[in-house]
Amino acid sequence: MVAAAPEQADSTPIISVAGIGVEFDLQSRHRGMRELLIKGRAGRVTPRFWALRDVSFEVQAGESIGVVGRNGQGKSTLLKIVAGVMLPDEGSVTLRGGVAPLIELTGGFVPDLTARDNIYLAAGLHGMKRSVIDAKFDEIVDFAEIREFLDTPFRHFSSGMRVRLAFSVVSQLDEPILLVDEVLAVGDRAFRDKCYERIDEMLAERRTMFFVSHNARDLRRFCSRGLYLKGGRLIGDAPIREILKKYAQETDE
Amino acid sequence: MTASSAAGGDSAAGSRSRIVDGPASRAAALWRKRRVLLLLVRRDLKVRYSDSILGYLWSILDPLLMGMIYWFVFTAIFRRSVGEDPYILFMLAGMLPFHWFQNAVNGAATAIKGERLVRSTALPREIWVLRLVFSKGMEYLFSLPVLAAFAIGYLHGVSWQIVLMIPAILIQTVLVTGLALLISALGALARDVDRVIRILMRFMFYATPIIYGLNDVVRNRHIPQFLRDIYAVNPMTGIIALYRSGFFPLEFHWHVVISSVIGSIVALAVGWWVFIRLEGTVLKEI
Repeated sequence: MVAAAPEQADSTPIISVAGIGVEFDLQSRHRGMRELLIKGRAGRVTPRFWALRDVSFEVQAGESIGVVGRNGQGKSTLLKIVAGVMLPDEGSVTLRGGVAPLIELTGGFVPDLTARDNIYLAAGLHGMKRSVIDAKFDEIVDFAEIREFLDTPFRHFSSGMRVRLAFSVVSQLDEPILLVDEVLAVGDRAFRDKCYERIDEMLAERRTMFFVSHNARDLRRFCSRGLYLKGGRLIGDAPIREILKKYAQETDE
Repeated sequence: MTASSAAGGDSAAGSRSRIVDGPASRAAALWRKRRVLLLLVRRDLKVRYSDSILGYLWSILDPLLMGMIYWFVFTAIFRRSVGEDPYILFMLAGMLPFHWFQNAVNGAATAIKGERLVRSTALPREIWVLRLVFSKGMEYLFSLPVLAAFAIGYLHGVSWQIVLMIPAILIQTVLVTGLALLISALGALARDVDRVIRILMRFMFYATPIIYGLNDVVRNRHIPQFLRDIYAVNPMTGIIALYRSGFFPLEFHWHVVISSVIGSIVALAVGWWVFIRLEGTVLKEI
């Protein structure tokens, strides 16, 4: 096991996270017009909390990182920050490569269009060129096992089929950084194994992966390094075995 | 090592922090993603037109039906003293672009909040607003044959001012983009924005010379001067004057057109500024 030691890094890291913090309002999610217009910044006394604070680390290309922590400790927020779908209130994130986000997978799919149209749309949205999609089309369809439903509207698909197709498209992206959330928990056993094989393949291509999971076995299987988040702080950055041991000890207490 | 991060091809490469980028680098990022924007607009039009045979008809039915109703009310019931003849052409020339304005601004309230892709792709957030502005704009362009049909049907002449439709479309794009940026950010943060906007749009419809002409305002001595000034400040007034001037040259007045240009640029500047300022908060709330 190669221990990740950012300090010793001699090459430029592919991901640099420097002192990031994300602050949330504890109040109701949506405010009415009245509050928005009348209450200025100055008179604000809403309780706030930091979902992430002072989190810093660097990731070298080819590393695979497992993010560990109990619910609500900042794992998903960290993933969103790295994916660029949330912005930090403090600190900065620098990525030296594109991201293939295996999160919120089915977001780009339109219920009223056929699977075929949806493949072109979703892949195009993630930046894939039409010629590339043409070339990978069969692979995408076969992996998702939906060939006979290619001209069926997406809304008729079962939730399992939807995730299968979405994973199949996004996993074809040729981006150096992979972000994997617990989306795969949806599929059946056989498909999950297939997804894991695909992730193995991608890791073998020296891609960098960020993996959020509660499953210690999966974490041990895919990741070499672990990040342990607690109360929004990074309290552990070490080889995954050590992190998992620490996590198990603390949750047992 | 860093694999093939082909310049501009990646979806999230680059540095991010609360110190937001200036408009220039945001515009550059948008330009790099123009293919995605095109794809989104095409998707919207495809969903709109391909699903039903009546797709095209639906998109023009609303303004057409409203036009018919006003035409009936104002030519058969009231004795019309406003606008010009043929009245249906006069009205539709204003109603069709207003329909674009109204649909885009109404839709903006949910353009960010209702888009699941915002949560999974790091595309420049302006894309979700531009996509709305452009797809509603395309629907407007597709409705132009109806206008042409009425002009031909009434054998109504066209003057050289018809080319003013091009600057009209450009100015309206700037205006609608600015307002939509503003409203999309506010709409994601406060829950009743869409309702307020709907009411304002209905008000705007009557406050803009659509079912009547600009000349009915400018030359109307019953209207106090300050109200006539307000008409001139409304950017849609000048835009519609431009659209109409190809068929009705008397509708053209320089002062409202200049006011439209200024108003639209101000709307874009303010709207974009607010959008950038609120972006971080919006992303947390959705």
